[in-house]
Amino acid sequence: MSLEITVHEQSCRGCELCIDICPTKVFELDAEKRLCVVKQADDCIACLSCAYICPSNAITHSDYHAVKNFYRDAEFCQRMGKYL
Amino acid sequence: MRSANSISYLAGVNLGKKLSEGVAHTGDVLQALDATREVLGKNDYLWLFEPFKPHDQETVVLEDQDGTHVMLVFRDCMIRQSLFRFGHTQKGSLCNMMYGFFAGALQNIMGQDSSLEIVHAGENACYKKLTVRRAP
Repeated sequence: MSLEITVHEQSCRGCELCIDICPTKVFELDAEKRLCVVKQADDCIACLSCAYICPSNAITHSDYHAVKNFYRDAEFCQRMGKYL
Repeated sequence: MRSANSISYLAGVNLGKKLSEGVAHTGDVLQALDATREVLGKNDYLWLFEPFKPHDQETVVLEDQDGTHVMLVFRDCMIRQSLFRFGHTQKGSLCNMMYGFFAGALQNIMGQDSSLEIVHAGENACYKKLTVRRAP
């Protein structure tokens, strides 16, 4: 699995929220374009905070481990149990 | 709130000590983490974690005067998912259970005190710094 991050240039407004929130400094600001760009994709831990915080929904990830959900319904939990 | 933190921490310590009973003793932090992961898996605890090395860091394990440091990424976490499910914020008292679990397990496996600092709590993963303190 090799994670890919994409910042969609047409959506990015250069607010730098992704730069601020990323704990491993994956992004940087392209000063010329005034857009956020991926500087070090290898350091991405796929916490997805950048994608959640981005006000223009400009960041997408692919090929990452998505965490498993937990369910409240007891019967469904039992069925899910064997896969968890 | 302080008592909630302590209760969660102590519950984690007890769980960590209980589950790691009988695990072979080691002084190597990476081996101790492997053993901890194995213990969690054997007991069907969905707490997946892995050591992480940023590109500009030479080794996974760093040593300084405080002790040994390893950055850890936590992926599937039953606490995080429960917090989201019930609308609670992260980094609260329940997260101390994980800190306690590692403290208890590493006390058994390595015979040393440790701390687990939350560097970043994300929606799909959390980033934490494990410090195994030097024996006095």
